[in-house]
Amino acid sequence: MRRSSRARVGLGVAAIAGLVLVSACGTGAPSGAVARSTGERAAGRAYDGAPPTIPHDAAVGACVTCHDGDGTAIDGIGVAPASPHGDTAADGAFRRCRQCHVAQTGATLLVASRFTGLPQGPWQGSRATPGAPPTIPHTLQLRGECLTCHAGSGARAEIRTTHPERTRCRQCHVPDSAPMP
Amino acid sequence: MTSRVGRRTFLKMAGVAGPAVAAYSCADQEEAVRLGNTAPVDRASVTWDKAPCRFCGTGCGVMVGVEQGRVVAVRGDEASPVNKGLLCVKGYHLPGLLYGADRLLYPQRRQPDGTFARISWDEALDLIASTFGETLKQHGPGAVGMYGSGQWTVFDGYAAQKWVKGGLKSNNLEPNARLCMASAVSGFITQFQSDEPMGCYEDLDAGDDFVLWGNNMAEMHPVLFSRMLETRRLKPATRIVDIATRRTPTTDYADLHVLFKPGTDLALANGILHLLVASGRIHLPFIAENVVFRRGIEDLKTIGYGCFDEQAERYTFEDQAQPSSLDELTTFLADYTPEQVSETTGVPVTQIHALANIYGDLARGTVSLWCMGVNQHTRGTWMNNLINDLHLITGKICRPGANPLSLTGQPSACGTAREVGTSNNRLPADMVVTNPEHRAEAERIWKLPAGTISAQPGYHAVDMFRALKRGDLKALWIQTTNPWVTLPNRSRFDRTPDDGRFVVVSDIYPTPTTAMADLILPAAAWVEREGVYGNTERRTQQWNKMVDPPGEAREDAWQIIEVARRMGMGHLFPWPDDAWHEPMFEEYRSFGLDHGKDLASYQQLKSTRGMRWPVVNGKETPYRYTAGYDPYVKKARGAHFYKATGYGEKAAFFLRPYHPPAESPDGEYPLWLSTGRVLEHWHSGSMTRRIPQLHQAVPNAYVEMNRADADAFGVKKGDRVRLVSRRGRLELPVEIDARGRPPQGTVFVPFFDESLLINLLTLDAMDNISKQPDYKKCAVRLERV
Repeated sequence: MRRSSRARVGLGVAAIAGLVLVSACGTGAPSGAVARSTGERAAGRAYDGAPPTIPHDAAVGACVTCHDGDGTAIDGIGVAPASPHGDTAADGAFRRCRQCHVAQTGATLLVASRFTGLPQGPWQGSRATPGAPPTIPHTLQLRGECLTCHAGSGARAEIRTTHPERTRCRQCHVPDSAPMP
Repeated sequence: MTSRVGRRTFLKMAGVAGPAVAAYSCADQEEAVRLGNTAPVDRASVTWDKAPCRFCGTGCGVMVGVEQGRVVAVRGDEASPVNKGLLCVKGYHLPGLLYGADRLLYPQRRQPDGTFARISWDEALDLIASTFGETLKQHGPGAVGMYGSGQWTVFDGYAAQKWVKGGLKSNNLEPNARLCMASAVSGFITQFQSDEPMGCYEDLDAGDDFVLWGNNMAEMHPVLFSRMLETRRLKPATRIVDIATRRTPTTDYADLHVLFKPGTDLALANGILHLLVASGRIHLPFIAENVVFRRGIEDLKTIGYGCFDEQAERYTFEDQAQPSSLDELTTFLADYTPEQVSETTGVPVTQIHALANIYGDLARGTVSLWCMGVNQHTRGTWMNNLINDLHLITGKICRPGANPLSLTGQPSACGTAREVGTSNNRLPADMVVTNPEHRAEAERIWKLPAGTISAQPGYHAVDMFRALKRGDLKALWIQTTNPWVTLPNRSRFDRTPDDGRFVVVSDIYPTPTTAMADLILPAAAWVEREGVYGNTERRTQQWNKMVDPPGEAREDAWQIIEVARRMGMGHLFPWPDDAWHEPMFEEYRSFGLDHGKDLASYQQLKSTRGMRWPVVNGKETPYRYTAGYDPYVKKARGAHFYKATGYGEKAAFFLRPYHPPAESPDGEYPLWLSTGRVLEHWHSGSMTRRIPQLHQAVPNAYVEMNRADADAFGVKKGDRVRLVSRRGRLELPVEIDARGRPPQGTVFVPFFDESLLINLLTLDAMDNISKQPDYKKCAVRLERV
């Protein structure tokens, strides 16, 4: 997946910002933002791997105004994470956000659902030896831009990388061999 | 208020914060409660298997994740050549369709007091067998029937085909696809003498220009739309043209938006043809080699619209094609000058020229795409003909990136309704009951005595429900569809349980249709059973049973087989109970072998992501009738319409004029009403409305209005208005400047919401060639509530 040059610049900023923001233990959240808990994150997805629903009024404008580059932190609310899909620029392959992500009106359900989705992570990659780089415990399908989730303001504490400056992630981290969501 | 970790100012965010606080609370709490029940799942124990999506006709491949007997996830199948891993929001939420809390679990029979009581499968099947048997004995095969679906698997449709036509000796078998695809079928049959497109989805990669006729592809076929946008991203000279009666999300991505008055697309297409012929931008060598000219009946009164009382029987019309010529076409098109067409259609002369320039640039590949706007049309066959004509006259057909490509709305409209031929006059593989050789061939394959299959076509869909109302049809079995939501002018077909008819409905959820039933059967859905679907591009896709159906739900084909056995027709289904899918498929497959309709073997389908017919020597055909791709074409290059033996193996260009719609706005009913779908919901909504994320996204129907109309009427977004047609009335909330923006004088209402049922207002006018109703054009007025 290609990134627009604009997004690439954004990533560079993210890498720098990450260095500044990530605390010594590597799990610091962006200052001022309310990090979403794992439960809150899961509430917006039908199952692990499902596209998240839009947790705000979707009529506020172009999605990429906030969900681009390095993401956007909002005091008291949380973060608007960048898209992990790659090219969301105006002519990009993933510009039609609302083809997969839809806002929720809060309307009463027609009937209850008994669907129980595949539980969501964070999952642990496996390590060949203590200290070895962990494998990637999810597919890379539509999630090929590692740093949009693992660094920058959109990264949740549990999965923040300690070394966002090393942008060639898959030099050391490879996907698990088992089928995954 | 905000802290940026980038370069943007907080001002951009100000709009988000307020609504976000409000929007979080309810939805998140509800979701958290739901997710609180999540049982721990060991991801290593999840198994994954392929299946096509259950919703539209695109046929996206999904990988289905199953754990402890339940579907827990899907992901886009990256190995599928259809969608290459991408899905739409409906596809990503597929598993939810199985798990609505009100799944039908047991057979239920209507009691004298109107309630339903659980009965056993034996009782239910015996009841159907005895009632259908008794009705047959007393009233003959014209009094029994079956109404199925483009959501039927090939197995369901084939079992129905064999039972109704070979067992009951009736041709009263129809699919709901009559309501969505019939005009595309009659378009292909009249011109190529064989159903289904020559093109395929690679046309979306290879085309230079894409012309969308009345087709909101961004919402209805979103994954194919993405594929087309990707082509334009890679080849910036690509153009996308949106020819439509309102602005939609598709319009936002179009290079050219052509707004026309409802129903005048016939004039617009003729206007393009006029310019092409007048300027000589036609492909004379292609025409000489591959095209004949034909002209049908054009008198409006002779054809009629098959809807109003005085015309209600006029659908007995049969078109008759006479030879015509390029010279006659030139004369015929004299009435369609750009100025005259502009007057009729409301399309500026410059845009008519722009369209002619696109079709007329013979160096560029043009792909026409269409779906319900063209098919649900009182002259839908004609409109299909005219689009195919544009390709025939320019030679932009049977070339990668240059084809007319009719899109389909149901997952097996092609595979089951059209290929198995589950309609009132068809047999598998393009054969028809009116042809004695075709009947004999079916009787041979089915090992039935000569003369078993009736030569008399049965009721078409709309007529089937009129016959039920009249009492000519006395016993009807409905499977996998929801006609009491989807029939136009629905109240015309309402029934009462004491009307002496016997209506069986097999479905997975309670619907307005099960509410009309005397007997309700619980069906297995999607991956709860083994299945085969066929998509838009002739791709046959197989999937395995992955989970057990809930309660006592059973697959539709099994239900039919068991009733047949109880009626003494078990010889139709001579296969072992635990291994009938493959032998049934192979028997069905034998219809098409060596007829250009060769399906892949069952084993090959099991091991691939689908194969596009004709499949010869294990090799699929992406482009039909096309040299170098289709093994039936013996030419070294170009096209060969080998199925059109009636035209000397050429395609027929049909001259088709403009006729006005059956009902147009007037002083009393001054607005156009158009109906359709939205991205998040599929068909009558019985599945998608039970999926929390989809229901929450669009919880109810609404009426889209133009802002000027709303201002003039004194209503704003969210207000309620009453919509009134000559047939019904309905109160709806108003939407303005939302995803769809109709022009002044037009309103649009989606049909997915059974509690706000727009089909109480729609007109049951139809195309009298295809017998497909027109849901896109009728007249309404607004009232204050």
